[in-house]
Amino acid sequence: MPSSPGGGVGPGPCPVDRWTLLVFSFILAAALGQMNFTGDQVLRVLAKNEKQLSVLRDLEGLKPQKVDFWRSPARPSLPVDMRVAFSELKDIKAYLESHGLAYSIMIKDIQVLLDEEREAMAKSRRLERSTSSFSYSSYHTLEEIYSWIDNFVTEYSDIVSKIRIGHSFENRSILVLKFSTGGSQRRAIWIDTGIHSREWITHATGIWTAKKIVSEYGKDHTLTNILNAMDIFMEIVTNPDGFAFTHSMNRLWRKNKSSRPGIFCIGVDLNRNWKSGFGGNGSNNNPCSETYRGPSPQSEPEVAAIVDFITTHGNIKALISIHSYSQMLMYPYGHSLEPVPNQKELYRLAKDAVQALSEAHGIEYIYGSISSTLYVASGITVDWAYDSGIKYSFTFELRDTGRYGFLLPASQIVPTAQETWLALRTIMEHTLNHPY
Amino acid sequence: MPPRRQPQPKSGPEGPRPAVLLLAPLLLFALQGVAAAPAAAGGREDSPGLQDAELPRGLLQQAARAALHFFNFRAGSPSALRVLAAVLEGRATVNPKKECQVDLVFTTDHYNPEDGEEHLGKCSARVFFRNQKPRPAINVTCTRLIEKNKRQQEDYLLYKHMKQLKTPLDVVSIPDSHGHIDPSLRPIWDLAFLGSSYVMWEKTTQFLHYYMAQISSVNQWKTNDDAIDFDYTVLLHEFSTQEIIPCRIHLVWYPGKPLKVKYHCQELPTPEEASGTEEGSAVVPTELNNF
Repeated sequence: MPSSPGGGVGPGPCPVDRWTLLVFSFILAAALGQMNFTGDQVLRVLAKNEKQLSVLRDLEGLKPQKVDFWRSPARPSLPVDMRVAFSELKDIKAYLESHGLAYSIMIKDIQVLLDEEREAMAKSRRLERSTSSFSYSSYHTLEEIYSWIDNFVTEYSDIVSKIRIGHSFENRSILVLKFSTGGSQRRAIWIDTGIHSREWITHATGIWTAKKIVSEYGKDHTLTNILNAMDIFMEIVTNPDGFAFTHSMNRLWRKNKSSRPGIFCIGVDLNRNWKSGFGGNGSNNNPCSETYRGPSPQSEPEVAAIVDFITTHGNIKALISIHSYSQMLMYPYGHSLEPVPNQKELYRLAKDAVQALSEAHGIEYIYGSISSTLYVASGITVDWAYDSGIKYSFTFELRDTGRYGFLLPASQIVPTAQETWLALRTIMEHTLNHPY
Repeated sequence: MPPRRQPQPKSGPEGPRPAVLLLAPLLLFALQGVAAAPAAAGGREDSPGLQDAELPRGLLQQAARAALHFFNFRAGSPSALRVLAAVLEGRATVNPKKECQVDLVFTTDHYNPEDGEEHLGKCSARVFFRNQKPRPAINVTCTRLIEKNKRQQEDYLLYKHMKQLKTPLDVVSIPDSHGHIDPSLRPIWDLAFLGSSYVMWEKTTQFLHYYMAQISSVNQWKTNDDAIDFDYTVLLHEFSTQEIIPCRIHLVWYPGKPLKVKYHCQELPTPEEASGTEEGSAVVPTELNNF
């Protein structure tokens, strides 16, 4: 269940969707030890037509109440979620089946989920005190990552500091790590991971990379040269609300969690919300869509925070935005097939970076402009970066090519991060050697 | 040069690919996209005159995927599933009704490769996309990747293993959030993928293609009679829209017999609100019994 690092429950004065509200109230009730939900399940029902919808609405009207809708019957295309008490499960499932209603079990035992959450909350108070016991080959929760950041910054305080660049829709801190060996407003490289919350391999790669940077400074010639002249900024959890949601409720959530009055669906695709080519065909106007662009460019706090930071800084020379999956390294534009002015240079750099990457474990990436390699996408980060004058703007799509997709096994975290590092280093080195 | 990539990571660096794969030329209607050369061929520059603006990007890849989904479904063998390795050559023609015929040759890998094994199968296919209508018509033949007896043996082993699983299955998602599939549950995933292949074949168009992201619930797993009777919900990831499509699938499988599948998916949201759901059912085309 969503919880902010500050320990608060609930997002403040912003409107919350009914689902989240009900989930919160369950947490509270359970925490007060008042209710027991052992064996209760949450069923998701797919109604095929109006007739089936009305069958569901009949359930709603039963007295005494047998189901509790977390997401009410609305339209046939939208799922209906209902909490069913353990004692009623058999009857309700029989009822659904007899009416030909397909359902799936979203939560098999609510009490188990609540117990796990309580356990996790207790555990978070006992979190690790150092980064050496943190597992770089596992996936982590938001709380674990934020705790790791604090430890990391303490342990390597001579090179790393933490900057809060804003807060998310649900009021979580948006954090950026700054790697610097001195100077003032040096030319800098920006790296972000996790803008799409379900792409867990990207946050994991970011964390590993951060550790790699501090480990290699003073050892690896290239990295040392880079850090002696330039700063690196890394935003690991670019979409903290979405990320928390992938842990609590929906592992495949992509967007942020912003909601607007009168709009049934939640979330904006943060990689369609930027002010370059905004509103084009490569994004969607439908709030229920995974590529919903939002009401206006930079409307989302998570995007606005980055725009403000980078614009104010004024000296970012490379921007690398990391996604998964597809195994691609790409440069602008996404919103059009028109090649950017320094396309040849970016092409060659991508080629070199991909070559370096493949030397780690033989993994092959394809490369090119986003629109010609992946698909047309409008209002994306790297297009904005490029149009803002950041000549070396790249986006990665990490492993794999569809076999596991977003659910990449944790065993692939380190190999993925290792190979990605080689590509990143290539791009950073080129940026260092080609000042502008 | 068509993009060349491995579907799964191998444990060591790649050896040099046979030269014939690098020299395949023939794209009459070009794909856009630049390929990272596996060995020496070099990346492909954005080709000027070769492309036909009417054809969608990556059409050959689309056709190969559709052909493979169909092939996997028709083979009905969870131990002999194949994935796309690379498109070697292909050409496409579009008729005035915007229907699209693609002829192509591509290579395949095992879906579950054994260690050290690198066995490229080769397929040729004709795929007919019916202008965004589902169910592309497919003719596909592939060289034998796994020897027939071995495949039957492996299927039978899988089958026996599945019959021994304790029911009701105490599992919610496969893989779990961390991408982990318990080895004992691996056959379930493979069987689910087989059923999903049918669904993904039907739903693939020139523009839409799917991956199986997760089994979100196992609703029923029965093995009375002899066949495996498997009712599950799968989450498909449609790539161009990035949507997650839940599909309820019900399949019946017995080694060596054609797979029977029924399904019911939520529809993709469209700019106007989508309503309704898609359904389909089939047995391998030679049989017509209703299921």
